[in-house]
Amino acid sequence: MTDRHSSSFAPLVRATCRRYWNDLLSIYYANTPIWRVLKSFGLLFFGFFCWSAAGLLYSYRPDWTFLYYVMAYGFALILWGPLTHFVILPVAIRLRRTARHPVTRTFAKKASKINLTVFITIVLILGTAPISPMLLDFGTLLEDDDRQPDVNPDLDCVVVDDLVECSLSDPTAIDHVVVTSGDRTLETVTDPPFAFAIHVDDLEVVVGQQQFVVELRDEDGDTIRRYTRSLAMIDEA
Amino acid sequence: MLGLFDNDYGSDGFRQCSVTGLQIHQSVEKYVKLFALTAIVALLYGGIFALTVAMTRWEVVGLLDAGDFYTHLSLHAWNLLIFWMIFMEIAILYVGGPMVLGRKLPLERVAQLGWLTMVAGALLVNYAIWTTSAPDQAPLLTSYAPLPSDPLFYTGAIVFLLGATISALPFFTALWFEKRENPGQTLPLVTFGAFITAIIAVEAILGGLAAFSYALAWRIELIGSIDAALYRQLYWIVGHGSQQINLVAMIVVWYFLTHVVGGAEIVSEKVSRTAFILYLFFINLGAAHHLLSDPAVSTGWRIFNTSYAFYGATFASLIHAFAIPAGIEAGRRKRGLGGGLFGWLTGAPWKNPIFSSTIFSIILFGFLGGITGVLMGQLQLNMTWHNTLATVGHFHATVVLGTTVAFMGLSYFVIRTMFMRAFISPKLASIQPYFYAGAMSIATLMLMYVGILYGVPRRTSEVVENIPGTDFSLAAAGPLFNVFGIFALLAIAGGVLFLVIAVGSVLFGKKLEPGDNADLTPDGLVYPDGGDVETADVEEEGNPVHTYDMRGTFVLCLIFLGAFVITYVLNWYLLSQLWQIGA
Repeated sequence: MTDRHSSSFAPLVRATCRRYWNDLLSIYYANTPIWRVLKSFGLLFFGFFCWSAAGLLYSYRPDWTFLYYVMAYGFALILWGPLTHFVILPVAIRLRRTARHPVTRTFAKKASKINLTVFITIVLILGTAPISPMLLDFGTLLEDDDRQPDVNPDLDCVVVDDLVECSLSDPTAIDHVVVTSGDRTLETVTDPPFAFAIHVDDLEVVVGQQQFVVELRDEDGDTIRRYTRSLAMIDEA
Repeated sequence: MLGLFDNDYGSDGFRQCSVTGLQIHQSVEKYVKLFALTAIVALLYGGIFALTVAMTRWEVVGLLDAGDFYTHLSLHAWNLLIFWMIFMEIAILYVGGPMVLGRKLPLERVAQLGWLTMVAGALLVNYAIWTTSAPDQAPLLTSYAPLPSDPLFYTGAIVFLLGATISALPFFTALWFEKRENPGQTLPLVTFGAFITAIIAVEAILGGLAAFSYALAWRIELIGSIDAALYRQLYWIVGHGSQQINLVAMIVVWYFLTHVVGGAEIVSEKVSRTAFILYLFFINLGAAHHLLSDPAVSTGWRIFNTSYAFYGATFASLIHAFAIPAGIEAGRRKRGLGGGLFGWLTGAPWKNPIFSSTIFSIILFGFLGGITGVLMGQLQLNMTWHNTLATVGHFHATVVLGTTVAFMGLSYFVIRTMFMRAFISPKLASIQPYFYAGAMSIATLMLMYVGILYGVPRRTSEVVENIPGTDFSLAAAGPLFNVFGIFALLAIAGGVLFLVIAVGSVLFGKKLEPGDNADLTPDGLVYPDGGDVETADVEEEGNPVHTYDMRGTFVLCLIFLGAFVITYVLNWYLLSQLWQIGA
């Protein structure tokens, strides 16, 4: 029973594998315009996916160096996939029919193997000695010396009589502070520690609430932080 | 007007479409054309801002400063996510309803009033955004109160939503008449899908009216304050609901166009209808993912919406994802056009831009928009995606690569079969879907990558350089933004090409006679009555459509499932690396 089962199982597996291998080969060699487009775009997207996903995983697992090869595979595939199916295969197939010179005929016959060998070689080289465009550089996320400083001071305000008095917890990296209400500028403070006082009557009513906006700006006048405060939310001293 | 609304109708006002075989009344056709043309004008206007927004995101160009950026982004969002889509969706309701049913458009005056009200609302919203000044803020799409926007903006949004409701009335009335005249008969699948779309639209519109009326009352100070959490709940009924209408309308277009130009059959009406019903109950709950980080909603509410309810909608999408390609495969094999594993697909009419647009929409929506939508819709994964450009990538994958590309295909169909015009350049029309979908796919992927790989934020005009108050650099994302910028420009060029072909063909295309559209029918002798010789013979022999081989679709579904699983596992793995409990 067992023998009979195994003897019928093995040919079935072989036949199935052969069928799928032949299907795969027929897809690889399919050369109509739409097949070229579908295969090229499919490989391009697959390449992007492998490249970025491997890069992302590597940023979490720097000890998984095998990911360089996945990255390299994806990176090379972005170009090599469309190149293979838009250029190399159509040329090789045409040459198989038309080439007369023996060298050209041999080349046409072996073109797919040559192409795959070149591709795998590129992947191995890139995976072993990765070039910088291939590496999505996550290191600079925290190490860039030219980074913007984190400007995030607390804005503390209190109401004293008819004045709103405000101060910043940390003046570092701020060039000047502009206080507006509605479309009017109430104050421009240029000196640290950038404390200021504005009169309650100067605050414009925005949708039923007296409000003002405090913008922290750098030396170029670019806004680096903005705070909106309504009078009702500020405690009295 | 310019002969745009003329066709050869019989004395009863009907004509037979040589492609679909449908009996079309001039009242329906007139309004389908009117709404579709208005949609294309909105696409043109919103598309202009695609250029300025993309060139600001690409900081090598850095076109706009922060204030202008929000105005342009708001105009881009409202014209493309709302006006382009909803004008087109009203056209789809009229196609799916009275046109497919072979009826006149009832309440013609109401349709006219609806169009005028929608146009008035759209103009008002555009005017209000364009003239935004302090203390008002440009509303983006989210228009979050208590950030104030111009009262005219809220008024315009309300007027537009009322207009859409009025415009939908003739569709509902047509269905009412149909059911009264034919009690007990089921609606055709396309009409059924359009009906579900319309019901979801009503839900969304009610939420929108509530949200914008509430905000308007606060903005003009009828009420003293606004509850931001309540506003957000109400807002997202329309904010995401409108996008769910786009989704369901797009699927209706998929069924319709794959049938009329691809020769698809309906593999199982019951299963497809069940999927639409699942949408009806569950799809709007997908909007919950916008509130997953809100403190105002309970954990139980979040878990219900992002798990049990969410799976209902996802399951429906997976059914359509199988049923539509399976329908194409079975239909083409039935006609003897399906050699090998994928012969049915590769031998399809790929040079026909109506077909190619539809198929690209299906593939790109599924792989790029659908998978990411399920990921983002989960309570936990949402946190890694939500406030990054990956989300922008997701909705460009769904709304642009999915809905817009499908609607482009539908526009081509309307031009050929209702305006009865030849394309001014058939070659360019054939290329356009490839060009646009290809370039837009790469631009969209780049948005996803910079979001998920680097956490680049989406709500600041600056994306890499000079982000206010950051203690880290996103400079490493610069190269991906270069790829994005180049492909965004190419995609915009693809969009311009569509507009040139569409508007040019409507205005200057050669007038077609009824027999001139034979190239649009699927290969295999499909006759205007919807049947064909082979089908008739085969069905008489007792071979219904599901007896045909669908192994190609099965393999495609396995590939889709593989991509789904890999992306899912990868995202969960990355999330697990962010918080290592007990490590």
